[in-house]
Amino acid sequence: MIKLHGVTKIYPGSSVALRDVNLHIEAGEFVSIVGQSGTGKTTLIKLLIAEEKPTKGRLEIGGWDISSIGNSQIPYLRRQLGVIFQDFKLLNRKTVFENVSFALEVAGESRHRIHDLVPQVLEIVGLGSKSTRYPDQLSGGEQQRVVIARSLVHRPKIIVADEPTGNLDSINTEEIIGILKKINEFGTTILLVTHNREVVNHLRRRVITLHDGQVVSDEQSGKYVL
Amino acid sequence: MTVFILILMLLSINMLMAVDRLTQESVALVKDQINVSIYVVPDAKEDDVKKVRDYINSFPEVINVDLISKEKVLESFQTRHELSPEIADALKELGENPFGPTIVVKTREPGDYKKIIGALSVPEFDPMIEAKSFDGHEEAITRLQNITNRIERMGLGLSVIFAIISFLIIFHTIRVAIYTQRIEISIKRLVGASSWFIRGPYLVESVIYSIVSVAVTFALVFFALRWIDPYLAVVFPNGFSLTNYYKSSILFLVGTQLLAVVVMTVLTSMLAMRRQLKV
Repeated sequence: MIKLHGVTKIYPGSSVALRDVNLHIEAGEFVSIVGQSGTGKTTLIKLLIAEEKPTKGRLEIGGWDISSIGNSQIPYLRRQLGVIFQDFKLLNRKTVFENVSFALEVAGESRHRIHDLVPQVLEIVGLGSKSTRYPDQLSGGEQQRVVIARSLVHRPKIIVADEPTGNLDSINTEEIIGILKKINEFGTTILLVTHNREVVNHLRRRVITLHDGQVVSDEQSGKYVL
Repeated sequence: MTVFILILMLLSINMLMAVDRLTQESVALVKDQINVSIYVVPDAKEDDVKKVRDYINSFPEVINVDLISKEKVLESFQTRHELSPEIADALKELGENPFGPTIVVKTREPGDYKKIIGALSVPEFDPMIEAKSFDGHEEAITRLQNITNRIERMGLGLSVIFAIISFLIIFHTIRVAIYTQRIEISIKRLVGASSWFIRGPYLVESVIYSIVSVAVTFALVFFALRWIDPYLAVVFPNGFSLTNYYKSSILFLVGTQLLAVVVMTVLTSMLAMRRQLKV
């Protein structure tokens, strides 16, 4: 599903973000990626969503080779992925419904299908009754649930979540992780980048620890050990 | 602002076209009024005069040759001077027609007259010809063309300046729009929007600018023509009207100008997006 073979990323100015990273993540896994700030977690996310290309090595995700992917293919790759960020990245001038439907519109889905799918995913994340609200009328946890709905509406095989609970309190954090676990139970691969020790320890799933751009531990039922 | 500058550019282009059309019409009108008159001596034999006429007619540059008999020349002279009893008395005193026949020649181009006049300066015809008149129309045409060439150059310069200003304004407008919408654009990219989905709105905006500017320009042009045409009617007795010219070529004029403006604005937008959008 996700394969990294000797992936190295060097930014201009010889700043090495990732060094010779080798990983293999199977379909349906729930993987936490942990590490201190500046250890290459965000770079890994950027490589996975093809925002950056590896300097060396080979990166495959869902059948796409990121190392050699063409610009015209990137939108199609991103439609296969769900991406969740700490800062939500919602359109404030659009309602909850529109923010979610937007992801389908860009893929050229029909209005009929959009009106079918969006209420379903909003129900899954518990926002069925708030579809006409605007992002600034929602709590942080609710906004993050809109983002999850948006990333879910494509029915992606992989969801990449970069610090999804970074801006949330413990109750909302629990809710968001609960939703991600539920999505994972349906077979979607989850890649969770987090600093939250409690979340990682509570999950008891695979934990990959990055340090100085390298994988220093990879445990199937790991804990946050930094 | 963008539409305003585009309108100024289109107006200057239309002014250029109108001046060009007016020049063509004026030159044609002046040319039509030019001819050369060859005055034959009164005692020339009719056969010899016809020979001269046929000789002139054999030139490919000649459009028309009119042979006016000596009687007609006298009649025309008397009509012209019927208010001058002294001239009538002088003619009576002479007792005979003092005029010879006149050959009026019209050529395709004013420059051709010199050739005809030169061709008649041969020993065979020279003794028969009393005088040749050729008004200085050629000089007038040259002067007219010089003036219009200068106006056209000025118009062209203005059009180029407005085109450059339009380019800079559109370029800047799109860059600012992209900058202010950068978060929205990054979200579009994140959810898998294609390059054209992101660029599309800017291109549509450019096309709308173009359509609005062409529509407003032509409305202004027709409004201005309603004011100009009565003056043209005085100058051009053949009924030439710029409104008719615009109406008869409206599809071509609107089509070419719209196409040119759309190409310009879309290319400018694409260039701005290429620099600003890495999608």
